[in-house]
Amino acid sequence: MEMINALNVLNSFSLAEIEVGNHFYWEIGNLKIHGQVFLTSWFVIAILILASLAAIRNVQIQKAPSGIQNFMEFVLESLRDLARAQLGEKEYRPWLPFIGTLFLFIFVSNWSGALIPWKIIEIPNSELAAPTNDINTTVALALLTSIAYFYAGFSKKGLGYFANYIEPIPILLPIKILEDFTKPLSLSFRLFGNILADELVVAVLVFLVPLFVPLPLMALGLFTSAIQALVFATLAGAYIHEAIEGYDEEHE
Amino acid sequence: MFDFDATLPLMAVQFLILMFLLNQIFYKPLNNALDERADYIRKNQTEARERLSEAKELASQYEKQLAEARKESLQIIAAAKAEAKKIAEEQIAEAQKEAQAKREEAAKEIDAQKQAAMQSLEQQVDVLSRQILEKLLGPELVK
Repeated sequence: MEMINALNVLNSFSLAEIEVGNHFYWEIGNLKIHGQVFLTSWFVIAILILASLAAIRNVQIQKAPSGIQNFMEFVLESLRDLARAQLGEKEYRPWLPFIGTLFLFIFVSNWSGALIPWKIIEIPNSELAAPTNDINTTVALALLTSIAYFYAGFSKKGLGYFANYIEPIPILLPIKILEDFTKPLSLSFRLFGNILADELVVAVLVFLVPLFVPLPLMALGLFTSAIQALVFATLAGAYIHEAIEGYDEEHE
Repeated sequence: MFDFDATLPLMAVQFLILMFLLNQIFYKPLNNALDERADYIRKNQTEARERLSEAKELASQYEKQLAEARKESLQIIAAAKAEAKKIAEEQIAEAQKEAQAKREEAAKEIDAQKQAAMQSLEQQVDVLSRQILEKLLGPELVK
């Protein structure tokens, strides 16, 4: 008991606490939602919208862009490259907003979780963290990706999309059907697991050794956060491409 | 950790709203800007390329003209040299002819004078020999 008290004293000094599964519930009607997730996601959305608005405030076309416009154009070009690498020159344009927004939202969420000391702001029952360390967010994004690639497949080929399941050989049909379930599952759990684990590792280390030792892991966390955003967006693009492109066309 | 509730659909809706918003204020305008700039650059590049080829054409034209002019000038110089040579030769020939004529004239004159001198000498010889005869034989015998 005294040990626990000592720990609590220690806890009250540090900025980090390890809490998983405590949520700051809001109730709308009889629906429960996780308030802390929405608070930080609104912050992320606000950052994205403000940056965009600042970038397009007066768009320079004939001169070299400067400042925020230059930065956002660089971001957009990277996103275009990302989408183009997956979907090809002809198809990537309509899917750019989806893939790009996936990347931007996940990336800014992850980095906001890693860089902004949310723990300073106290909210009841829970703590603020990256929106992507809540399973609801990642599953929402992964399901949207699933819907997106089904939509892409059906809008491109109509019911012919089902031919994808028996090409190149019908024996793969069960695996192909299974894939439709594993894709969103792996997407959401990969992101969720990475971000949550990263925050937990940093929190545990901060709890054990408050100074300097967690820094390399924090840097590593920034790196994995960026990679996870990239992986999510790239995979979304790859799935959409898979749905659009038929087996025959690919080998022509 | 794994409690799913209304957060999930709301987050999805929120994401879709964000996507449409960003499409309006980020993707569309900046894509347009990038495309327009690419067009602008491409236009400028083709214009510049056209101008460059024009300039090259002009330069080659000038060079051709220059070469022609050089050739022409060489021809003119050669013609002038040939003419000068011809004139010089003509004049030399003329001068030689003149000199020849003068020499011949002089020779003729010399001959004439020689002839005249000889004639007068002969006369004088006649006179002198007559006088010698007169002196030796006496004037009456000499007739």
